[in-house]
Amino acid sequence: MPTITKDRALALAMLIMVAILYVESGNIRPPTSWQTYGSAMFPQILLGVIAILSVLILLRSLFNSKSSQAHERRTAMQWLKKNGVVLTLFALFGLYALVLPVLGYLVSTMAFMVASLALLLGVDTRRKWIINLGVSVTLASLIYVTFHFGLNIWLP
Amino acid sequence: MADFFLHAFALVSSPSVLLLILIGVLFGIIGGSVPGFTVTMAILVVFPFTFAMDPVSGVSLMVSVFVGGYSGGIVSGVMLGIPGTPSSITTVYDGYPMALRGEPGRALGIGVAASFIGTVISVAVLVFFGPLLASFSMNFRPWEISALIIFALTLVAGLSNGALLKGMLAAALGLLITTVGYDRNSNLRFDFDLPVMSSGFEILPVMIGIFAFSQLMDNIEKLREEKTARQEVIPDISIPYGRIIRDIASQKVNTVRSSLIGSLIGALPGTGGTVANFISYDQAKKFSRHPERFGTGIPGGIIASEASNSAVAGGAFVPTLALGIPGDLPMAIMMGVLILHGITPGPLMFEQNPVLVGAIYASLLVGAVVMVLCQLLLVRWFARIALIPQQILVPAVLMLCAIGAYALNNNLFDIWVLFGFGIVGYLLWKAEVPLTPLILGVVLGNNLEQQLFRALDLDDSWLTFLTRPLSATFLVLAVISVIVSLYQNRRIQQKMAINQ
Repeated sequence: MPTITKDRALALAMLIMVAILYVESGNIRPPTSWQTYGSAMFPQILLGVIAILSVLILLRSLFNSKSSQAHERRTAMQWLKKNGVVLTLFALFGLYALVLPVLGYLVSTMAFMVASLALLLGVDTRRKWIINLGVSVTLASLIYVTFHFGLNIWLP
Repeated sequence: MADFFLHAFALVSSPSVLLLILIGVLFGIIGGSVPGFTVTMAILVVFPFTFAMDPVSGVSLMVSVFVGGYSGGIVSGVMLGIPGTPSSITTVYDGYPMALRGEPGRALGIGVAASFIGTVISVAVLVFFGPLLASFSMNFRPWEISALIIFALTLVAGLSNGALLKGMLAAALGLLITTVGYDRNSNLRFDFDLPVMSSGFEILPVMIGIFAFSQLMDNIEKLREEKTARQEVIPDISIPYGRIIRDIASQKVNTVRSSLIGSLIGALPGTGGTVANFISYDQAKKFSRHPERFGTGIPGGIIASEASNSAVAGGAFVPTLALGIPGDLPMAIMMGVLILHGITPGPLMFEQNPVLVGAIYASLLVGAVVMVLCQLLLVRWFARIALIPQQILVPAVLMLCAIGAYALNNNLFDIWVLFGFGIVGYLLWKAEVPLTPLILGVVLGNNLEQQLFRALDLDDSWLTFLTRPLSATFLVLAVISVIVSLYQNRRIQQKMAINQ
């Protein structure tokens, strides 16, 4: 039974996306009598190209065992352990985008900086905390002052 | 020409713009010298600060980051033995051994001087070939422009680390991203009934999301793997000016040849500083009477590397300004910034915005002078800044990306666009999909669709693309580029099979 490799996952994800967008492209207004080609044509050509390329990638990975990546089998816990920091950083960024309009630029940016620096630097020594807080407060304030007063760009 | 150049030079020489150039060069050098940060990232971080500026100031700032960035790689290359940017890999081959030998000042001085000469020669190439190419491309009609864009995309896709299928998939995905929202006929596409989607995605949050997240997360992942055992060389550095002048004088041919290689390669789509760096180093070695000395810390190696990667700056502007087609990632982002300032790069830019074109030339030249002064005076500080840990840089850059995306239109949706495409970019990068064709597709998508359908509105036969000589030539070149990269892929696979 074929296992999931990067190429196969990519090709399948692309084919699913193509299917969804092809159905959605049916909602695009058809060409009027004076238009030779409608608005759906260009995206549909691209969807066709993506579908063909995805099928080729899929076939290559199925028939050419050398090109399909060798896979080490990992448990969910091992995968999470390996990618935990990156996933947490993504989550922190998502949270930052979420609270930015609620808490405002200064509070949410400082909170994001402190949390992500704590994640990456660690919190095991007093020195790391000083670096963390110093960088977070200085950078967030400096950017605020530069944008607000120097460039007249309003931050939330 | 002289008039607009003098006018542009006067604008660039104003104190406020000079200050911006100084800041840009400093930031570029820092960006280039911090391993894993790259020139592109430096440009991305600086671009939000240009929103409130007039076009000349904004473009001067960006160009100076570009100039500083390409020269910055030498600092960590020589002092730490780690290339600051991929385009300064070969600098390490001779710069680091020379520094270990107790001559870090000489190695840095040679590199900075070669960078300066490389930039100046590339500006000459840009000034000469830019208008020529632009006036030639004035004859291009929609058929030719569409075919040229397709050729550029296939070329970049084909050169993407031997992954042709994935490169082409990435380019098509990039083009598809630009179809979201209202189109040329004011019809809505792929909005999924969400009002925020109706105006489509802004180019810059998409580009930043795709590029910055994958790059930063890659840096985080490498943190565990990379523990450099190299000896760091940060002693008191004195620059032996006389010796450096003699070194450069003894390598005149190498300096000019490497600068021309850099300019030429910079002008080709999909290549950039890294390719220029390796080809130039290889050529210098082949032409040398003592090729065996390369890699032991000789001036010729540093000159070949630094002159070529800095010359890429001017060369890369040729297709961007003359044809509106950026050749590599930093140029794609630079083009996004120009568009943001209401300037559409292309042949008409030379007629409609001559002062801005002149400002780019002038900023490159002034930036090169400022770069030399900054490098020679502050190199010891740059070497220390190059040691800033990624653990501090990554959150800071992520935050700046978010603020940059927001400040574009004071729109929080752009932060979500950044985040969404950050995830997409990271997943694609994990699947080993090259991201440069994707970003190029995003930059060129709207133009391709407009030109393609303008051509079909004028003549609804697709065959016209093949009956017009120039358009047919570009399409044939596109097919040839695909065949060549297929052949190269096959050779790489055969070599790998033999090695196994």
